[in-house]
Amino acid sequence: MTLKAVLTVFRKETRDNARDRRTLFRVFLFGPLLGPIIFAGMMNAVISMNLGSATKALDLPVAGAQYAPNLIAFLRAHHAKIEPAPEDPAAAVKAGTADVVLKIPASYPEDFVAGRPAEVDVVLDAASQSGAAPVRRVKALLNAYSSQLASLRLLARGVNPAATHPLAIIDRDVSTPTARGAMLLGMVPYFCLFATLMGGFYLAIDTTAGERERGSLEPLLGTAASRPSLMLGKLAATAFYSLCALAIAVAAFGVAIPTVPAAELGMQLNFGAYEALWIFAVCVPFVFLGAAGLTVIAAFSRSFKEAQAWMSVALIVPVLPLIFVAVHPVHSQWWMMLIPSLSQDLLIMTVMKGTPIDGGFFALSIISTLVVAAILAAYAMRLYRRERLLV
Amino acid sequence: MIEVDAISKRFKEVVAVDRVSFTAPDGRITGLLGENGAGKSTTLRTIATVLRADSGTVRIDGVDVRTAPEDARHRLGVLPHSHGLYGRLTGRENIRYFGELNGLADTELDARIDTLVQTLDIGSFIDRRTEGFSHGQKMKIALARALIHDPRNVVLDEPTNGLDVMATRALRDVIRALRAEGRCVLFSSHVMQEVAALCDDIVVIHNGRPAGHGSPDALREETGEADLEEAFVKIIARAEGRV
Repeated sequence: MTLKAVLTVFRKETRDNARDRRTLFRVFLFGPLLGPIIFAGMMNAVISMNLGSATKALDLPVAGAQYAPNLIAFLRAHHAKIEPAPEDPAAAVKAGTADVVLKIPASYPEDFVAGRPAEVDVVLDAASQSGAAPVRRVKALLNAYSSQLASLRLLARGVNPAATHPLAIIDRDVSTPTARGAMLLGMVPYFCLFATLMGGFYLAIDTTAGERERGSLEPLLGTAASRPSLMLGKLAATAFYSLCALAIAVAAFGVAIPTVPAAELGMQLNFGAYEALWIFAVCVPFVFLGAAGLTVIAAFSRSFKEAQAWMSVALIVPVLPLIFVAVHPVHSQWWMMLIPSLSQDLLIMTVMKGTPIDGGFFALSIISTLVVAAILAAYAMRLYRRERLLV
Repeated sequence: MIEVDAISKRFKEVVAVDRVSFTAPDGRITGLLGENGAGKSTTLRTIATVLRADSGTVRIDGVDVRTAPEDARHRLGVLPHSHGLYGRLTGRENIRYFGELNGLADTELDARIDTLVQTLDIGSFIDRRTEGFSHGQKMKIALARALIHDPRNVVLDEPTNGLDVMATRALRDVIRALRAEGRCVLFSSHVMQEVAALCDDIVVIHNGRPAGHGSPDALREETGEADLEEAFVKIIARAEGRV
């Protein structure tokens, strides 16, 4: 095994694949940009929908407004724009032409004066996405009106309204705006790992299974270069493309995340150059793990198609620990740093929460990931030494 | 010189090569003759160290392929059955890649490519990407790639397959030139005229076993046939025990 042969293979594979547009597209655009675009697009849409409805006047069709003039005045004073109700409120809400309709029955004035609970109907569609926010607002306004009246009635009877509030429940939120923002950023680690694997995906297939299928593997194995040098050169090229894809993904997140107006939700998205560099550093060992794993798959697959099928499965493997964490939220513990992809996920979340990274955890994550990478690389080398590599 | 001593190779149940022995000396063209599936390619792949023999030894210039495969490969230039060029690389890049893998330094490499451009007449297309090449052009680039490190021993697996008349003639000239330079040339074919026109020695393989060995004249004399094709048929029949 010689370094010169490894470098020769590395140069040839990076150059050869740089001339393949499909590979370049997937490595440098599809893989790394998918996450940031989805993230920024989704967050912007969700936030602007929520914010928009909170500040805009609430369009509220009301049927029977004449029975409750005081309630209507209260609603108007709280930025509700009262509109005439459609003829069939239930049908209108069902059809989606109205998000919510308020119905005041003719019995309202009589019940109200008699001090009985006066019925008001909120016609809503619980299955509608766009209706959720207006319904919440209408109910909040009705509750506010109701408790205001309750207090007045108690005062009129000489009772302190505070008597109806034995408990005063106050939230004391210890989270920082940054930590709250980190919740939104939960998908960033996966997309970073995804981009890393996508980056090496096509190169790993092309340089092993693809080479065999094109019939160029036999002449290659007939050169004086040893099989381990060939394998390492290809592995290095795969890792190089992975590394590029990772860098692009992290940079793209750096551009996409500041476009999200999280401050208006009382959150701060902590993602500047400093965080980006940390995330990149955390993921670098995973680049080698991914490249070695992809090379193993490519070496034992018999064809391009088979390799592609296996690798699609491999793309899911790093998500499994992430799903586990999403279902059972955990605090980082040292043994979790022994699990590649989980350790990267937890460290990236730590960075984005704005808390400093524990040096020991970071070291443990690097070592464990590189150990697994080395084991996979050794296995890939064994596969390369097999006669079956060719046939 | 390529010495093959009693090599055997089986793939699961199938015995592909069964105790085949022969010597291909320097300065001569040795032809491996046999029907499709007779074991020619397996024998050549074993010589090229791509496959490992179950038993028996192969020596290239005295170097055992089992104990020193890299040294042995360095002494060999192999044109396998599938040319397998890299389509996105130019002819020159394809050739350079193999030159570098065979340990050639840059200056040496450029000089060798210049020589091969002359002998193989590939100057007009060497700097184009190989994906659009004709079969003959691909074969020439693949041959240049196999010869880039100036090997003393050249192994060609059915090199004339799919070539037109002119390309076949050009290839024959190249093979004769390699012999004239004192190299050992070993090639396989199932085309009788090919073997008759080129070979100094013929090794006939049938069902993975050696069935005959000698110069074309010797084989004709031995079988009492004036025509080499008839001689071949007779040798095969004898190997199958029909005569």
